Amino acid sequence: MDNYKGVLVCGEISDGQLAPVTIELLGVGRKLANELGEELSILLMGSKAGSLSKDAIAYGADNVYTAEDSILDAYNSDAYTQTAANLCKKILPSIMLFGHTDIGCDMSPRLNGRLGGGLSMECSALAIDPATKMLVATRPVFGGNAIATMVSKSARPQMATMRAKVAPPAERDDARQGKAIPVEDKVDPSALKVKLVEKIKEEVTGVKLEDAEVVVAGGRGMGNAADFAKLRELADIFGGAVGGTRVACDEGWAAATLQVGQSGKVVSPKIYIAVGLSGAMAHIAGCLGSKQIVAINKDKEANIFNVAHLGIVGDWKEVLPPLTAKLKELKGK
Amino acid sequence: MSPVSATYWGIPGYAIFWVMFFIAMGLFAQRAYFLFRVMCLGKQENRFDNIGQRIKNMFVEVIPQRCTLKSVTLKDLAGLGHAFMFWGFSCFLISYIVFIGLAEGLGLYPYIMGGTFETVYFSILDIAGLFVIIAIVWAAIRRYIVRPERLEMSLEAGIIMIMVFSLMALHFIIEGFGLAASGETSGWPLLSTAIAGYLADTGISKDTLLAVSHVAWWLHYALILGFAVYIPRSKHLHVLASAFNVFFRPLGSKVVFEPIPMEALEALESGDESVSLGASKIQDFKWKDLLDLYACAVCGRCHINCPAHVSGKTLSPKEVIHDLKEHMLEVGPGLLAAKNAQASADAEAPAESQGKSMIGDVVDEDKIWACTTCGACQEVCPVGIEHIRKIIQMRQYLVLVENRMPESAQLMLRNMQTRGNPWAGAQSLRLRGDWTNDMGLKILGECEENPSTLFWVGCTGALIDRNVLATLSLTKVLKAAGVDFCVLGEAEACCGDPARRAGYEFQFQLSAEENIETLKNYNIKEVITSCPHCYNALKNEYPAYGAEFKVIHYTELLADLIKQGKLKLTNDVDSTIAYHDPCYLSRYNEIYQEPREIIKNMPKARFKEMERSKTTTFCCGGGGGHMWIEEQHGTTKINHVRMDEVIKTGVDTVVTSCPYCLQMLEEGIEQKGVKDSLKAKDLIEVVEAAMKQS
Amino acid sequence: MNIIVCVKQVLDPEIPPAKFKIDPETKQVVPPAGVPPVISVYDERALEGACRLKDKNKGKITVLSVGSEKAADVIKNAIAMGADDGYVLSDPAFENLDSFGTAYVLSKAIQKIGAYDLILCGRQAADWGAGQVGSILAEILGIPVITLACDIEAAGTNVRVKRIVNDGYEILEAPMPSLVTVSSEIGLPRLPAGVRLMMARKKVIPIWKAADIGAEAAQVDKGNAHTEITTLTVPVRKTECEIIGGAPGEAAVALASKLANLI
Repeated sequence: MDNYKGVLVCGEISDGQLAPVTIELLGVGRKLANELGEELSILLMGSKAGSLSKDAIAYGADNVYTAEDSILDAYNSDAYTQTAANLCKKILPSIMLFGHTDIGCDMSPRLNGRLGGGLSMECSALAIDPATKMLVATRPVFGGNAIATMVSKSARPQMATMRAKVAPPAERDDARQGKAIPVEDKVDPSALKVKLVEKIKEEVTGVKLEDAEVVVAGGRGMGNAADFAKLRELADIFGGAVGGTRVACDEGWAAATLQVGQSGKVVSPKIYIAVGLSGAMAHIAGCLGSKQIVAINKDKEANIFNVAHLGIVGDWKEVLPPLTAKLKELKGK
Repeated sequence: MSPVSATYWGIPGYAIFWVMFFIAMGLFAQRAYFLFRVMCLGKQENRFDNIGQRIKNMFVEVIPQRCTLKSVTLKDLAGLGHAFMFWGFSCFLISYIVFIGLAEGLGLYPYIMGGTFETVYFSILDIAGLFVIIAIVWAAIRRYIVRPERLEMSLEAGIIMIMVFSLMALHFIIEGFGLAASGETSGWPLLSTAIAGYLADTGISKDTLLAVSHVAWWLHYALILGFAVYIPRSKHLHVLASAFNVFFRPLGSKVVFEPIPMEALEALESGDESVSLGASKIQDFKWKDLLDLYACAVCGRCHINCPAHVSGKTLSPKEVIHDLKEHMLEVGPGLLAAKNAQASADAEAPAESQGKSMIGDVVDEDKIWACTTCGACQEVCPVGIEHIRKIIQMRQYLVLVENRMPESAQLMLRNMQTRGNPWAGAQSLRLRGDWTNDMGLKILGECEENPSTLFWVGCTGALIDRNVLATLSLTKVLKAAGVDFCVLGEAEACCGDPARRAGYEFQFQLSAEENIETLKNYNIKEVITSCPHCYNALKNEYPAYGAEFKVIHYTELLADLIKQGKLKLTNDVDSTIAYHDPCYLSRYNEIYQEPREIIKNMPKARFKEMERSKTTTFCCGGGGGHMWIEEQHGTTKINHVRMDEVIKTGVDTVVTSCPYCLQMLEEGIEQKGVKDSLKAKDLIEVVEAAMKQS
Repeated sequence: MNIIVCVKQVLDPEIPPAKFKIDPETKQVVPPAGVPPVISVYDERALEGACRLKDKNKGKITVLSVGSEKAADVIKNAIAMGADDGYVLSDPAFENLDSFGTAYVLSKAIQKIGAYDLILCGRQAADWGAGQVGSILAEILGIPVITLACDIEAAGTNVRVKRIVNDGYEILEAPMPSLVTVSSEIGLPRLPAGVRLMMARKKVIPIWKAADIGAEAAQVDKGNAHTEITTLTVPVRKTECEIIGGAPGEAAVALASKLANLI
């Protein structure tokens, strides 16, 4: 356990740049590394890796490990896990950080299984225990009903995933110095068992759910697909996005990619308007980060009112039309 | 001279008479036998118990015409017309047998005709004929000119009316001309002799008069035989089938379910096709269901009383029955042929109906799921058709075999199956035994010696805030009245009613068996319920699974306690009150007097009876699983229709004694925006308020 | 196709939030009175995925659950849905295992069962939600793993999976035997219906103890746990919600004004 040192961020590259979540993780990692008095490293995979090492260093990395194998340009579970595992066995990081993304959620448990470390997923906070120098991971459990702190007493590396926008992005300092270290091991193609056959992009009309400033979400109370579609009108006034609870997506009223909640997307818009949804904890876990939560529900006991800042107790069928009309007027649309 | 004893073109009248008779009877019997065999394609069911009671039912319904007279209102007097038509035609039917059959056909003419008997009987026929003619004309005007909603301007109805009218007209022609020919132009029968008198004055020769009478006689005879042949080939089949239908109607519960025994399940596992889950083909129904289809006279009473139809959904019980009947007659021949083929070990002809599927093509799924099982259709049906059971059997097939149901139904049934009650999941804000906190109640399993009377609370009364208020009221009232009872608390499970109504039959069976076991273990002898659905399930449906306890609804108990003086309502109830009869209490179980007695005993309460009340009550929309199954789009919502009726009474309080009704009425009040002038209350809450606080 | 589905019995996650209670001493949730435990949501979806595969291809579904003896109810439920048989893995040594421990126990049970083509798991448990057991199990068994499936098909000797990603879907293939973790987007699980519901009730579910599957004590020793919970708290979440009163129309207008000022 003592020979494990340093913090390693498993970086992601999107659109030829460091992914925003990676920049955030570098910020988190830098803090953790400073508290430990150890180094912060980052693993970048793909042919773009080398060109981004300067950025990674500017954002706080001491070492940038680049695996510039073109096989790694698109995410492949086996290839990424293999590359990361090989590196970990060499440099023995004490802490590993991943984004809670499609890549991170897939890779980190596998890597954990392979390396025998201790992994906590979807952490809302990470800190070093000053006494034990161990990583303390804070994460929601029971659908958000409770908060747990986890430690790995002896298993190494200590691993954690964090969602985007939970931590602020690292500060950029172009004067920082660091090392770019190419990873020598090439990916063994015979070990790649999972093949990507096709990638289907979902047509997102307008702004993406995670990026929208205003999200209008509907739940079971919307009743049917036609009524659910009325939420679009309200969202459009703000140039916002429409989301749904698990029930609404199960029923097919909203695409699965628009599910807000513990098992869907976590959003933190300026305004989150919850229409006809009761506010089950699993859903609320997905929107608690919102600055203002507005609830419209005909049941005054609905849980959503426990987390909302503004609310109307009423039938959305009677509230939504005048609300939409007045907002259109005020917003001049 | 009798028309039959004459000779026509060398052929004796008798020969013609009997040849016609046997041809007609042959055609009649052939068709009747076919219909009988098709009916026998349906599944086994024992409706031969209590023969004495069944015979009595049949006579009571048919002879005094209770079947149609029961639904006569000032707005719809048709039942009266039918009664007259029936009584009138019955007289004629007897006359056919006596005068045509015996007198003419068998040549007993000299013994029967020409005496007081003939005069008396024909005088009766005179009056009867007049009534029938008036009734037919009235019916025709009503159907084709006034056109009330429940009647169709069908060709069949027209043909039958013309036939009956013609029979009556021919009767008067036969009599009139015959009497004129023999110079009997006065005396009884009055109308016939009057016609005879008029004819005599015209100066037509006696021979011509007689000839006309005889021609009319043969036409009349042909028409009777034609009618007999036509009856089993038209909707007038109800004339034959309805009496039997009444004979075979259910004697206990209004909707009959049979437990599915383990042997049947094992047979199904091993691929035995004679056992089916629910009904997806016409032959999956019970034979009584198929007899129902024959008995339907397409009167349309079920149609205009169905809450789904009234609120604009596609479901019409009349159409369902009619469509099923057409389908049955369409595929019947094929099915019978296939059965024969199998019996004679011919090629493996599948007993499938080619082309149309019963669920989907004949009755589409929307119709199947729109039913609230309110029972208005069955209540008002003159011939005792069991509409509800057919719909539920189709639901059973969809749920148990195809796993195809509205998502809202699936979510509820999933909750029933994994969590034990339909309200579980995100809809409930309470835990099962919560309501008992601090109430000082005897909880079964926790008290030393448990009472033998159990208050069965029901899921809704324990888990939904608004209804818990009523539950608390009832416990306080029972305690104040000195009733020694216990409750199951958190151990109480769902009675299973929503599962059965939604077609998830096995879950009901499991629930029933478990609940009966629990009650047996605690030696419960009497159960008080607050929910009419629990009441109906426990009282009428649980005995089939071995339940032996007595079940009463709280309104029965309270009415009794008031009578005994153990419960005194002394506080003023200064309100105008309308009582909404829950379907499962009033129609299913005939409990509507007791709530009214209770209200009558409330000082200062001003009671206003609603137009649709007691057994004609209008559904709140919550039955048949519809507290959870989403209501389809129609022209309005069922509870809104009822709400309009409540608002029309102008009362300030609408009272009911069912947790579903209470919720639906409150929702209606909210949505109609009359919260400030109208309140919905459970009867028990009003009773508690009327009792002196101790 | 031989399919193994791993399911977990959890406290009902859909109890009213106000009734959710924990014991900070034992760092456990206090089971609410009268609420039966249920199958974890994602595991149920995994089971549905297995049933759909069995509908299309001939096969057998075996269900495994690490838990208390009550987990037999969940297995019976699974059989009612369409599984063929199942085993409860219950032993004092198996209580409160972390993801590695659970995966280890499952791997020993799977070794005992023998040949399989596909293992299905939920993407995470509805209670602790660690989200790792499936992947760790795949690593132990040395088989490929695909996560977050919303559709699973058999394609010859491969399994073909539609996977949910941030901006759409990926179609992936892997040779069997392999492991797939399933997400809720696969759709609603079927209602256990027909005869199965009644028959499943009578089934006796075998319970396997540590000795039955050859689980080594060291591997399930709590002292060797990879992660531990140090604290468990219920966050106090009381935002003062400003309820806008009045008739729906008026309230809506008032709300509109407030919102318009925010952005």
